[in-house]
Amino acid sequence: MLEGTLVDLVPFEDDFAIYLETWMNEEAWFRAHVWERREPHTEDDVKKYIENMEKNERGGLIGFQAKNGDPIGALIFDHEWTRVRKAEVRVVVGDSRYEGADEALDGLLMLVRYCFETRNLHRLDAVALPFHETWIEHLRRAGFVHEGTLRQHIRWDGDYVDLEMFGLLQSEWPGYVQKVAELSLQPSDIEPKPKPEKKEQKEAQPS
Amino acid sequence: MLSGLLVDLVPFTREWYQEKMHAYWNNESRLWATMGECMPISRASIARIIEERAQGRARGYSGVHFMIRTKDGVTIGNIGLNWVDYHSRCGYLGAWIGEEGYWGGGYGTDALLLVVEYAFDWLDLRRLALGTMALNVRAQRNVEKCGFRLEGRERQATLVNGEWLDALTYGMLRGEWPGRETLIERLGLREKAAQRYAIQEE
Ligand SMILES: CC(C)(COP(=O)(O)OP(=O)(O)OC[C@H]1O[C@@H](n2cnc3c(N)ncnc32)[C@H](O)[C@@H]1OP(=O)(O)O)[C@@H](O)C(=O)NCCC(=O)NCCS
Repeated sequence: MLEGTLVDLVPFEDDFAIYLETWMNEEAWFRAHVWERREPHTEDDVKKYIENMEKNERGGLIGFQAKNGDPIGALIFDHEWTRVRKAEVRVVVGDSRYEGADEALDGLLMLVRYCFETRNLHRLDAVALPFHETWIEHLRRAGFVHEGTLRQHIRWDGDYVDLEMFGLLQSEWPGYVQKVAELSLQPSDIEPKPKPEKKEQKEAQPS
Repeated sequence: MLSGLLVDLVPFTREWYQEKMHAYWNNESRLWATMGECMPISRASIARIIEERAQGRARGYSGVHFMIRTKDGVTIGNIGLNWVDYHSRCGYLGAWIGEEGYWGGGYGTDALLLVVEYAFDWLDLRRLALGTMALNVRAQRNVEKCGFRLEGRERQATLVNGEWLDALTYGMLRGEWPGRETLIERLGLREKAAQRYAIQEE
C-alpha cells in the first residue's frame, strides 16, 4: 500500500475487480477514456482488461481508496514512451460520490507522485472533455498546464466536441509533500459503501 | 492511384518493402519522420515491422498508405492516414519523403492535397489531424500552406540530439478546406510542375 493524504493506493484486485464490472460501463469510465463508442463491457472484457494491464510494461492500473478503506476508483498511466520518458495519466472516479472531491484530487497527486518520483518520468500528458469541469479543475490544481484544444475531435452524444490537452513536466512538480502542503486537502467524509457481494464460486469440477 | 501535378500516389511495391524502407529508416530523414529517433535498423528489424503491420491489418488496422512517386517514375516516399477513427470521423496524417534531394520542392504539398481530398471526399472524414516537432519547420510550412491550423503545443514532448523539443498538433475541419483546385491555384503548383518537368524534357 502507498499512503497518501486522503487516499491510499492498493493493488487492483478483490473488491476493485468486482466494482470494475460496473465502473467500466459507467460515465466516469467513458469520460476518462474519451471512449466515444461506449460498447458494453462484459465480465470477460473486464477480466481481460485487468489481465492486460497486469502484463502492460508501458502502463499500470492502480486502485485507490479512502482512508477508511472505501474503494474510490482507478489510477491509470499508459503508453509510456521510454525514449522520451512520458506517459498519459487518467483517473476514473468509479464511485461517483467522490467526483470532484479532494479524495479524487489526492488520487491524481499520488499518481503523479508515482510517475515522477518513483518511475522518473519527464512529462505527463492528460486529456479532458471540455465539460468535465471537476477533472479540469483537479488537473489545474495539480499543476498541469493547458497546452491546446483539438477542435471537434470526438463524437459525443450526438455532437462533435473538442478535446483539451494538458501537460505537466517533472521540473514543474514541487514534490508530493510540498504540493499537498500548498493545497490543504479536505476529506469529504463520505460514508463507506457496503462491501460488494462476492460472486459465487464456480462449482468444483466433479472428480 | 491518385494523380497529382508533381506526383502520383500509388500502392506499395516489393521494391518499396525491400529497398526503400531500409534506406529511409537508416538515412537522415528518419530523425524528422519519427520526432528524433535515429538508431540504425537492420533488414531483419524492417521485416519484423512489415510483419507486425500485416498482422495489424488483419485485426482491423484502419490506416491507408500510399507510395509517393514523381511523374517521371521515381519513388521518393510515402504518405497516408496512419490511423482513422471512423466513429469520430477523424484521420491522422503522416508523410515521409525519404530522399533528401526532393525536400522543399513542392512534392509534399502536392501529395498532401491529394490525401486531404481523398480523406474528405471519398472517406467522408470531417476532421484531419497530424503531429510534428517544433524543429521541423519544413513540415510546419508544408501543412500550414495547405490550411492546417496549429491546435496544440505539448512542451518538451520529444528529445532530439539531447535537447527537449515541443510537439505540435495541427488540425483541419472539412469546412475549412477550400478544395484542392483552389489550393493548386493559390500555391502556384501548376507553374511549379510545368517548370519541373519542362526542364527535364529539354
Ligand atoms: C515534411 C515533408 C513531407 C514536406 O514535403 P516537401 O516536399 O519537402 O514540402 P514542400 O516543398 O511542399 O513545402 C515545404 C515548404 O517549407 C519550406 N521550407 C523548406 N525547408 C525549410 C526550412 N528549413 N525552413 C523553413 N521553410 C522551409 C519550403 O520552401 C516550402 O515552402 P514554400 O512552398 O512556401 O517555398 C518532407 O519534407 C519530408 O518528408 N521530410 C522528411 C520527413 C518528415 O519530416 N516528415 C514529416 C514528419 S511530421
